[in-house]
Amino acid sequence: MDFYFGLVQIIGVHTLLGLSAYIVLLTGQVSLAQAGFFAVGAYAAGMLTVLAGWHLVPALGASAVCGAGVACAVGFPALRVKGLMLVIATLAFGEGVRLFFFNFDYQIAKGEIKVGPLGGEGFRQIRFFPENGWTTGEVMVFIWSIVAAAMALLWWFDRSRYGSVLRAVGEDELAAQSVGINLTAVKVSAMTVGGAIAGVGGGLYAHYTTHIEHASFNILLATFAIAYPIVGGLRNVFGTVLAVIFVQGFLIEGLRFLGDWRNLLFGALIVLAMNLRPSGFLGARRRA
Amino acid sequence: MLDFLQAVSDGVLFGATYALIGIGFTLVFGVMHKINMAYAAASIGGAYAGLLVLKVMAAAPPALVFLGAFAAGGLLGWMVYLTCFHFIPLSSPLATLMSTVGMLLLIDEVIVHVTQGMPQSYPAMFDDVMLRAGEFTLRGDLLLVFGVAVVCMAALMLLLYRTRLGLATRAVSQQPVAARLCGIRLEQVNATTFVVTGLLGGIAGALIGASVGTLSPLLTTPLTVKGLIVTVIGGLGSIPGAIVAGLLVGGFENVFQLYRGVTERDLYVMLLLFVFLVFRPGGIFAAKSGGD
Amino acid sequence: MKKLAFAIALAFAAGGAMAQDKTIKISGFGAKTGPVRMFGVNSEAALLAAAEVINKAGGVKLADGSKAKMVVDFYDDRCNAEEGISVIRRIAGGDALVAIGPTCSNVAEPLFGILQKKAGDASDSGLQFPVFTDVAIKVGLAKISEWAFRNVPNEITMYSSVFYWLHTTRPELKTVYGGVEEDFAHSRASWHIVMKDRATANNFNVVGESKWLLADTNFATQVREMKKANADIIAISAHPFSLCGALKEMARQGVKPKVLVGLTSSSSLETLQGCAKQAQGIIIPTSFAPVTKDGKFAAQSTAKFKGAADLHSMAAWENMFILKDVMEAAKITGKDVQGDRRRIRDGLAMLKTTQGLMGVTKRTDDREADKPYLFVQAKGNEWVVLHNPL
Repeated sequence: MDFYFGLVQIIGVHTLLGLSAYIVLLTGQVSLAQAGFFAVGAYAAGMLTVLAGWHLVPALGASAVCGAGVACAVGFPALRVKGLMLVIATLAFGEGVRLFFFNFDYQIAKGEIKVGPLGGEGFRQIRFFPENGWTTGEVMVFIWSIVAAAMALLWWFDRSRYGSVLRAVGEDELAAQSVGINLTAVKVSAMTVGGAIAGVGGGLYAHYTTHIEHASFNILLATFAIAYPIVGGLRNVFGTVLAVIFVQGFLIEGLRFLGDWRNLLFGALIVLAMNLRPSGFLGARRRA
Repeated sequence: MLDFLQAVSDGVLFGATYALIGIGFTLVFGVMHKINMAYAAASIGGAYAGLLVLKVMAAAPPALVFLGAFAAGGLLGWMVYLTCFHFIPLSSPLATLMSTVGMLLLIDEVIVHVTQGMPQSYPAMFDDVMLRAGEFTLRGDLLLVFGVAVVCMAALMLLLYRTRLGLATRAVSQQPVAARLCGIRLEQVNATTFVVTGLLGGIAGALIGASVGTLSPLLTTPLTVKGLIVTVIGGLGSIPGAIVAGLLVGGFENVFQLYRGVTERDLYVMLLLFVFLVFRPGGIFAAKSGGD
Repeated sequence: MKKLAFAIALAFAAGGAMAQDKTIKISGFGAKTGPVRMFGVNSEAALLAAAEVINKAGGVKLADGSKAKMVVDFYDDRCNAEEGISVIRRIAGGDALVAIGPTCSNVAEPLFGILQKKAGDASDSGLQFPVFTDVAIKVGLAKISEWAFRNVPNEITMYSSVFYWLHTTRPELKTVYGGVEEDFAHSRASWHIVMKDRATANNFNVVGESKWLLADTNFATQVREMKKANADIIAISAHPFSLCGALKEMARQGVKPKVLVGLTSSSSLETLQGCAKQAQGIIIPTSFAPVTKDGKFAAQSTAKFKGAADLHSMAAWENMFILKDVMEAAKITGKDVQGDRRRIRDGLAMLKTTQGLMGVTKRTDDREADKPYLFVQAKGNEWVVLHNPL
């Protein structure tokens, strides 16, 4: 059972990563920076529970705030670039965050050993869960209550005026502007919400792997982040969840019986999925 | 002072490899407006395929290996077109983006499976030639790479501005619907341009392999990132821009390394990109925008 | 009558064969993807080869006197922390008694982190499953958990020996310059914590270091620094790809130190495949070379399963035999899976020495190994034994 609980945990954290890219994608921005906000949240939460002895819940709150803050700061300059340039700019930003943590040392002594992030060595022994006796099942439930809350929030956005505004900006910026929608407010707010969700996801990631380092937050993770909403489709949040289950559950774990072929099929099946369903599993309905 | 000059020249010379891969990137992104994340992987894949020549003829001269890479690159370019751009409707750019990511992963995996992940020594031309001026040295083989980049640029400019295919490509990139109305076969033009950029990529991959000395699947990601950065700094669609940007990035990279060390080097390269995005988003040679 | 006798004999034989159906599962896991694919392939081959040898000799003796065959399966963790954790949970959820792996140190660290820190600590909900590492070599990982054990060479001892030997046999060598891959946990630690320190301790003067990244392609600046320092010995703590890049640049700039020292993991086929010409003469300490009778046999057996024998895969081979002895001494039942896992853990913790392919290996208190080693040198297209310090 432990294995299934663990897998569901991974699906949960990756769903948060995917949802953070989903909301930004709704506004028409392809952001490869979500892994960067994820990293910020991871280090923030890890440092608070390990170095400052905080409980996980407030630490995750701080991750959300940190992620949101950094995302907001990125959101403004991101307005100036469109399309492909935004992809590259956010990619560069994500790499910048990774490189920052590659150089980041902050250690304090606890007893005779030093704890905390140490540049290239990484940040080890983030053991809040095992030290407080949380079982794999309990961690899974905890992670999924947060995921459910995030999904509920985004679902509610979709049902409200805010969601329509987001999608309007995503469909046609000029038309949206001509109806009086404030593009800056919409795009930056979407980026901020995405950053908060990614921050929480990162905080959870740090705690369920117990060891993080700069290389954990590389371009591949950033690519997975936008892969989930693209493969899943933009109709609603469930598309992203489906895509995460498809990638983590089916492609990575489900295809293990194929041995070596699993890795070859990974890329091939993504290509196939995009050819068969270009708008994703649950693609946005087109009204024309 | 000599250190600084040497660092700059070392960097600029190595930037010739970035220039070479950047030309293909800028063509794909700038002229064809297609996001092809698999471009660097296909180029490296072409370089690997060139090594097959050595399997058949153990003492083949490097030029033959490069030729093999050239041909293989074209083939891979066509395959990427088929799997990522032919069937997916143009109105789904996200789908093509993701599809090219899938191809990147696939090509990488195939390389790893065939070579078991082991680095492969790559034949080089002039790799032991070092031009010296006292303490100052210049790598001969990188000068060759620069030469090839210039020749490629000339060939591509010729292709784009003096041939019918070039005319068709530019037409398709500016106004696909109008181009179709003029009788231009969209799929054929796109396929051909992918093959041409693929051929270019194969040469770039082979020469990069020769400059580095060894081919490894590790090369794919950094090359993709560098290629994208060079494309943006040089200006989307500007081939001379890509060359200048490649040399610039190479030079700056080495200078950053000299003064701030290798762990902070790439951070500064990203900052350089951001400076360009803020102050000169069109790149060094902002491409002439099509009638839109 | 004859028919009845035949039938009875058949029944006995079948019954005997059924009784012989007992199996013990050991799971291997490691990276079979990316630049490190070779490690996973070799480890898997070594595990399968060792299992075949053990099974041919009868298998593992259980507490009730019967014998069980060893069954081995192998999982690919793609050198990714989350996947490694998922794999170990999958293994622990099945009936495997112990796992051998992982390949990558960046997987080992998180993986050991989710294990129970102190065996038997009821307040710690970490996983209770013994892991016996064959490859992941970054210094000091086994102390993260009492369920983690490693059979990897001790780089501190080996490099101490290298520099001692160089100092005594070639007293004209005085200075050392380092080249280090800064963004890879293992190579970084191996220069800063191991090589630099051990060279100084053996009366060498470390005159400087040049840094680069794992996937770097331009080594001009770093090699220029090397040239300027003009040290007698250049020690390069890097894996084959960047090692080859640096060596080729050194050839280009005419940097020819009197002695070249390399990183343990680079004493493999990969270096020779990438840059045999430039790597000629490089000296690397390693915990395996096919020079003993056991070593040659292990190498041949592994080759049958399409794997190469090097210090990493041969550790996997050794692990299988060590586990067989531990299982028999701890009297595992073959039925009580969690109990057997605990017995194996306790048995491994009690070991003071194990029998390796190069000789006796000492086990340390923090669950690491102190393996016998020798120095190899790249000559032609292979690694030849340069010196056996023991």
